[in-house]
Amino acid sequence: MTELRLIGGTALAEPAEVEAVPTLRLPPGRHGIPADLVRAHQRLRLLEAAARAVAEQGYGRITAARVTELAGVSSRTFYQHFEDLWACLLAAYETEASRLCQEIEAACAALVEERGPIAEADRRGRARTGIATALGFLAAEPPPQVAALSGARRDLIERLGAMLRGVLTDPDGATPLPGLERRLVGAALALVSTRATSDDPQRLRDLGPELSELLLASL
Amino acid sequence: MEGVLAVCGEVGFRETSVRAILEHSGGHRAQFYQHFESKEDCFAQAYAVWIERLCVSVLEAAARAPGWEAGVREAIVRLFQFVTARPAIARALFVEVQIAGEPALARHEAAVERLAAAIDSARADIDPTEAPPEATGVFVVGGIESSVCEALGAGDPGRLWNTLPELMHFAAGSYFGKEEAEGAFERASEMLERERARLTGAEEEGEAG
Repeated sequence: MTELRLIGGTALAEPAEVEAVPTLRLPPGRHGIPADLVRAHQRLRLLEAAARAVAEQGYGRITAARVTELAGVSSRTFYQHFEDLWACLLAAYETEASRLCQEIEAACAALVEERGPIAEADRRGRARTGIATALGFLAAEPPPQVAALSGARRDLIERLGAMLRGVLTDPDGATPLPGLERRLVGAALALVSTRATSDDPQRLRDLGPELSELLLASL
Repeated sequence: MEGVLAVCGEVGFRETSVRAILEHSGGHRAQFYQHFESKEDCFAQAYAVWIERLCVSVLEAAARAPGWEAGVREAIVRLFQFVTARPAIARALFVEVQIAGEPALARHEAAVERLAAAIDSARADIDPTEAPPEATGVFVVGGIESSVCEALGAGDPGRLWNTLPELMHFAAGSYFGKEEAEGAFERASEMLERERARLTGAEEEGEAG
């Protein structure tokens, strides 16, 4: 799951969470490792390989054969886990999307814990933290708008939109327009995609202040 | 050249074969490869023609309207008319382009930049000390495009029309802040209520006029 990052694209500097994904193969043959653990491990390897294959070949050319080759599993194993290539790519995308949302939530929660009620009330501050976290995570290429993935992308926009809505909603004022936060998130992802074409992940992180200002303009 | 976009929009770029393009458009394989290096090349060339046409049409609609807000509104209306009239082509232009290779993607980016520059004319009405971020134009165009992609992904381009007021809120808010955004939302809602029939039923007239 390094390069997909919702995304697919240029190779990244190895970020910390990648190490959480085991890349080593389990020993072959009889090893007494429980079958469900082996399966879970295979799945992780396949998801990681899918991300690398997308980075390598792009969504237009990626093949299941390349994914199994990178994962070091047989084609039969691949189809035990996934119905077809798209199911695998979709799962890889969803895994990354979930991780992105969790990181944002964790960063905002940590801020509140560290600073207490002041951070709770500081909606802009929390939003900036969330945005900086997201950009750090996405410091590669943007999510592709592939038709087969559009459902997963819509879910991601929905989730990020709900977070943004939490920030935009003034407890004493009118609730924001339904749908507005989805537009804002869609626009942010589009901006990320146009600004992230270089090989320099720092460029994306530098977008933080601008993006905060744009997302919070209606606050 | 329309064929490649129509087929890709229908079944997806990955699933489109040269054979399917030829079945749609007629002609022989040998002829195809006289004109195009590959499927990617064919898509990119068709893309260039159609995105140019759409950009010009949208910019014309904006230029005819009085003022920035009306210009953006008319531009979005023109875009929606195109998308609802030609959903397959629109899917190729906005969705499939993401995986159709670098040449087409570069043309997509160029079109976004061009429309962003046009929308950025809002700055003429803003005190430089309160100017919005440099990326605002690209941000706004991206938000409008994501709305189109969402409707196409849901298989229901007709529902785009209901997003017009919210898009105007989003566009005006990005440049001018909350109050202007609410005004733009109201005016777009009123226009939609008053002229829905003209807007949604007048694709052909819109193209010609």
